[in-house]
Amino acid sequence: MRRQVPLILCFVFGIVMIFTQFSPHSVSQTLYQEVISWALIISPFALVLATTTLIQTHVTRIRRRTEHWQYSFLVFVGIITMVVIGVPFGPQNQVFEWFYTHVQVPMDATMFSLLAFFIASAAYRAFRARTFEASLLLITALIVMMGNVPVGDLIWNTVLSWLPLEDGASGARQWILNNPNLSARRGIILGVSLGVISQSIRIILGIERTYLGGGD
Amino acid sequence: MDRRFVYILVALAVIIPMLFRVNLPVSVSEPTQKLYDYIEALPSDSTIILAFDYGPSSLAELNPMAKSLLRQCFDNDVRVIALTLYPDGTTLASTLIQEIAEEKGAVDGEDYVFLGFRPGATQVILGMGSDISSVFETDYSGKATTEIPMMKDITNYAQISLLIDLASGSSTEVWITYANVQYNLQIAAGVTGVIISQMYPYLQTGQLVGLISGILGAAEYERLIDVPAKGMLWINIESFVHLLIVGLVVAGNIIFFNQRRREE
Repeated sequence: MRRQVPLILCFVFGIVMIFTQFSPHSVSQTLYQEVISWALIISPFALVLATTTLIQTHVTRIRRRTEHWQYSFLVFVGIITMVVIGVPFGPQNQVFEWFYTHVQVPMDATMFSLLAFFIASAAYRAFRARTFEASLLLITALIVMMGNVPVGDLIWNTVLSWLPLEDGASGARQWILNNPNLSARRGIILGVSLGVISQSIRIILGIERTYLGGGD
Repeated sequence: MDRRFVYILVALAVIIPMLFRVNLPVSVSEPTQKLYDYIEALPSDSTIILAFDYGPSSLAELNPMAKSLLRQCFDNDVRVIALTLYPDGTTLASTLIQEIAEEKGAVDGEDYVFLGFRPGATQVILGMGSDISSVFETDYSGKATTEIPMMKDITNYAQISLLIDLASGSSTEVWITYANVQYNLQIAAGVTGVIISQMYPYLQTGQLVGLISGILGAAEYERLIDVPAKGMLWINIESFVHLLIVGLVVAGNIIFFNQRRREE
């Protein structure tokens, strides 16, 4: 029974929602709007679920004294501080905004900025023209990189002005994005979309049941 | 070469151009120009939605775009409904909008409104297609959406001329799938450098009316509105870092081929 009820609900709502897309009748559209508003109510529960999982994970880490378990206390300090300030006083509270601007923003920006150093180091150590495919990737990457910055056009127009390309590095980059990149992306999108459709049909028909979790 | 030496070179490639300001000419790409022209062609008192779908990690690339877009909208009397699908984006967006509104003399509730965040991206997008005030009952400061002067004539996407999604993730594709396909809402995007390539199929189909690509796009937009700011500064700095990386890749390959020749 625990598995049959969700399977029936999934089948009924799946089929009904598909039909609402093909019927402009007022009953069909009212039903569609109603289900959308139900979904809006359900979505905040995902936040509750995520927070609960995060807390459970870090409680377990502390209990089991796994590697670097001490850092899990910092997670709780962060959560408790922001909840204690944010829930009663709202996100426009000065202290809440101060923590956001002076703690979260610099930390997030720092994490992202570190990528520049790692990319430079990785490019130097690993980006090698070992095979024909690797060489093609390397040349394409270099053209796109140079086309992404104004100095690329300057160099292209000075050193490579003899090439029959009018718009310099930025033009070459645009051509790569508009042609080989676009074709490959479209193929990926079509493949993923077909996969999503087939998976959705499997879920609606109850063939795919992993979302129900294990056990009976 | 020791990786620490590479790190020092990267740091120098950032710091030196910052100290000695360099101004390289920026040419405007077609997708950026299209978005600029689209907003310029909007009649005054049109309304657009500006979605701040990013957090602090991407603000270096996306904040300059947001500022330029808001400047252009306020200059052209285009009203802006701002919102975010990211919980991290609220304070960031609120601060940025207030800064540009003060600069341009735009009035909260008349020229712009910030609706804040609601969880559940897909449901929020679909819900707004029926009734914006049913999803965002209040704005970020707690005012009832239906009582905000500029929202009086706005019910759903039918009254919106354009949605611009400033994105660091896959939110633009979600907006396209649910707001463009379902409700025929015109969509444009400003995205971080790493996801530019994902956007090109949608540009080609016309599902995106324009695209601002990374910090280069931000600099292009600053050039178009003739307000050079951080986009211009940072793209010049990025030029030197890109040059360094190209140099490192070339050096790495020369060493690699020399080693292989010796081994043979």
